[in-house]
Amino acid sequence: MQQPILTINEISFERNNTFLFENISCSLVKGDVLQIAGTNGSGKSTLLRILAGLLEPESGSISWKNKCIYEDAETYKRDLHFLGHQNGIKMHLTVHENLKHYCALTGITYKPSTINSIINKLKIDSVFNTQTSYLSAGQLRRLSLAKLLLNPQRLWLLDEPATALDSEGQQLLIDLISQHQSAGGITILATHQPLPLTVTMKKIQLGSAYVS
Amino acid sequence: MFHNLLVLIHHDILITLRQAYSWLTPLLFFVLVVCLFPLALGPDTETLNKIAPGIIWVAALLAILMSLGNIFRNDVHEGYLDLILLSSTPLTLLVFCKVISHWITHCLPLILISPLLGVLLNLNNTEELTLITTLLLGTPVLCLLGAIGSALIVSVRTQGLLLPILIMPLYIPVLIFSTSAMMAASLHQPLSAYFAILGAIALFTLVFAPFLTSAALRIGVNQ
Repeated sequence: MQQPILTINEISFERNNTFLFENISCSLVKGDVLQIAGTNGSGKSTLLRILAGLLEPESGSISWKNKCIYEDAETYKRDLHFLGHQNGIKMHLTVHENLKHYCALTGITYKPSTINSIINKLKIDSVFNTQTSYLSAGQLRRLSLAKLLLNPQRLWLLDEPATALDSEGQQLLIDLISQHQSAGGITILATHQPLPLTVTMKKIQLGSAYVS
Repeated sequence: MFHNLLVLIHHDILITLRQAYSWLTPLLFFVLVVCLFPLALGPDTETLNKIAPGIIWVAALLAILMSLGNIFRNDVHEGYLDLILLSSTPLTLLVFCKVISHWITHCLPLILISPLLGVLLNLNNTEELTLITTLLLGTPVLCLLGAIGSALIVSVRTQGLLLPILIMPLYIPVLIFSTSAMMAASLHQPLSAYFAILGAIALFTLVFAPFLTSAALRIGVNQ
């Protein structure tokens, strides 16, 4: 039995005096992939934001490496990569500047060679010096996935990561998650459509709360 | 770390420069308002000289207030605010960088063009110098304080006049001491006391405002 790294303990969240979800519990070990599923408006994104520490739950606790994430926020932030449904991309910077900006923001050393290999892998090298406001939704998604590769975080929180991606892009995403999984990282996906991953996923179903 | 912060400031400035309307609107507003007064009041140089401090400072204050609504707006829409909040770099420093770049792109142009407008309102050399000094000391305060209000209402969709109502009372000391300094200059009185007070206000806000802004941002983002 492996020691759980991320423990979600009876989380509830209330909006307009009704519970969006109640008593969600789950524990994840190295290499786990968790899918948060549910219909539109069932609170997938909200739960993901709570897991990222951006929102506080009404009750319940989350611990990362046996420490509450609110008490040791710095460690948690360093290990976490959150990709929201908005991409977090500055629209008036080029692809190159965005990646450089992200490096500066998160304190990663900027290495042109690493950047080159990442953009080649994600096939956004042709738009490297284009302002992101001219990019398509799919290209923006690829750019936000490129940030995942910039530094090897332990925990990925991805909100609808497959939106706007073409089939090749989806395959890339699946490869990325598989690689992350085999390197011992934890992935949490909020998505209503299951990704055809080869690994077995844990699942939280919102709307009718149960964990399998 | 320091180099990283410079990169962030540089990119923030680039973003503003690539959307010309964002920095041109406050600048044009400032110039137009000040230009209208000589036209409306007639060419009597003495009257113009007397009301010049008030005109320039009120116009500058409103122009800056106008620009401050934008300081975090795009960051929210682009989901970039989440990245800032989750970054391992202290939020206070990131906020401080944002305010610095906002000051460079939105206030520095006003300060640079103000001597020209001073000529229009018949200011002499001492008054011009006083004007520039008060703007240099006062505008950072306006930006730093405005950022607090802007952070607090960052999630409000239709902001309207919410920011001016929140922030205007805090602007009054700067307005009073700046215009008093300029009036003292026109009466050939010593100015050091005014500059000392403005400098003290600037240093005080420089130290405390970024902390308040980052706290306000954490509250504002979840409203």
